Amino acid sequence: MKPKVAFFSFTSCEGCQLMFLNLEDELLDLLGLVEIVNFREAMKEVLADEYDIAFVEGSITTHSDIEEVEDIRKRTKILIAFGACATIGGINAIKNFQPLDDVRKYVYDRDWDKIDTVPTMSVDQVVDVDCYIHGCPVDKKEILDVVTSVILGKTPRVPDYPVCVECKLAENVCVFDKGLVCLGPVTRAGCSAICPTFGNKCLGCRGIISDPNVNAEKDLLAERGLSIDDILKEFRMFDGLSEVSK
Amino acid sequence: MLPKIIERDDLRAFVEALLADNVVVAPIRKGEKYVFSEVETFDEIALDYNISLLSPKKFFYPQIETVLKFKIGDRPESQAITEASPVIIFGIHPCDIAATWLLDEVFKEDPADPNYLEKRKKAVLIGLNCAQPCDEFSFCRDMGSYNVEEGFDLMLTDLGEKYFVEIGSKLGEEILVEGAHFRDATSGDLKDRQAYQEKKETNFVKRIPYDTKFLPEILEESYDSLVWDAIAKRCFSCGSCNIVCPTCYCFNVTDEVAASAAEGERKRVWDSCQLAEFTEVAGGEVFREERSSRLRHRFFRKGKWLLERYGKLGCVGCGRCDRNCLVKINSVEVYTQLAGEPVQ
Repeated sequence: MKPKVAFFSFTSCEGCQLMFLNLEDELLDLLGLVEIVNFREAMKEVLADEYDIAFVEGSITTHSDIEEVEDIRKRTKILIAFGACATIGGINAIKNFQPLDDVRKYVYDRDWDKIDTVPTMSVDQVVDVDCYIHGCPVDKKEILDVVTSVILGKTPRVPDYPVCVECKLAENVCVFDKGLVCLGPVTRAGCSAICPTFGNKCLGCRGIISDPNVNAEKDLLAERGLSIDDILKEFRMFDGLSEVSK
Repeated sequence: MLPKIIERDDLRAFVEALLADNVVVAPIRKGEKYVFSEVETFDEIALDYNISLLSPKKFFYPQIETVLKFKIGDRPESQAITEASPVIIFGIHPCDIAATWLLDEVFKEDPADPNYLEKRKKAVLIGLNCAQPCDEFSFCRDMGSYNVEEGFDLMLTDLGEKYFVEIGSKLGEEILVEGAHFRDATSGDLKDRQAYQEKKETNFVKRIPYDTKFLPEILEESYDSLVWDAIAKRCFSCGSCNIVCPTCYCFNVTDEVAASAAEGERKRVWDSCQLAEFTEVAGGEVFREERSSRLRHRFFRKGKWLLERYGKLGCVGCGRCDRNCLVKINSVEVYTQLAGEPVQ
């Protein structure tokens, strides 16, 4: 029997689910491997309530999110945190650096106290996560790697080295050499350095590597004229939940 | 083979003749930097480039290369992939030629690496001599790679109105015939070449305060030096030094399975000994957990181990590692500091 796959979405733009649907050349092959039983962005039907694989997109930001993701966890064998909001909190965690009530007033105006919210959490701050697909948005190649690895019983390969590796492989001119700043030296690779390759800087969307040289990065950014506040803003764009943002 | 001369104005015609029926790669501009890339016209070539981001080794040993295709399931199959097509590398500098010599030694050692060797065999190297160092990062004089006597098919030296052409191989000679813009060098040309060399010798200065033949001993004595810990404090372990190095040859191997989960490709990708994952083995044990031990490993490879194994330094002094180091770890400084350490 084909593994049953479900998609769930919490606080996010749902663009990572779209990345899955964007796997146009591979989608039919993938549907030969798995049975999708719950995928609100792609189909109306809900065909099962227990899952071999659940892709959980989005950050956890309300009490009901907490209950819901705990419930999904109970009904899921392999839970995959899907995309930056789910794996590291992502840009939703920017609100954690402001008083929660101020944020609620700003967003919901006069009905602010009727709408529940909690400080942003990544999925693994609430439930156990078996597997991570990082990025904003996720990389199609990594989706394929994870799905085929799970099917074949392999451990998917998630890089734990800086974006610089892939940026140099792409033979890019270093972002710092262009007079910009970049979080590549401390950010997890796996994106093929797509942002520097197309003229942008690395914003840190895949999270901080497990052994970053944070002091060196902060020194480097300070050397380029960034104040402490500016440096924290760089980190807090995507990595607000990480130690580096404290 | 006796050297030849091509007039400056004829170089275009020679290169255009090469372009007519060959794939030619040459240094071109990329932003403020240079890269080796396929060119279609002579004018794209940056003859005055200092150094390319990656060395031309990428044409023999691509950053990512499929080495095997496989099928999985009831009847597994696999097929080794070796792809190589002819290429002319125009404008390669002496340091990168020296680096190619080392890579040749490494990849032809048993078990020989067909993926590298097939590509290498089909490549023509047309060197371009350097009159002065690229910049303050160059230490090619120390590493002895600022002049090369061999390893090229042709070597061009810019003598102003003319290029002095050394022929390094039979293949190089054949290309000359194809171009037919060359004349034999006269004694006057040889004198001009000699004058160029004398000037070059003064332009390139040594920067390490001792002869690099002593590097193995100095490194040996420095295994427990505090220098490694000191520079490790600012090192990102970002691997840039390895990836841009013309002599680094370590790779990782990964399997990419297609969406059908029935077939896939095995790829090799340049790896870096500065990454903790590099020494990770089954069970999760990492042999060089400390940044300092990884840094030390790189310097020992370049200055000691490869010399002991292949008879040539593992570093050509091109300075790419240092130029690309965001935290200014500098080889010349490291080698200098090591020598200043009290022997333990």
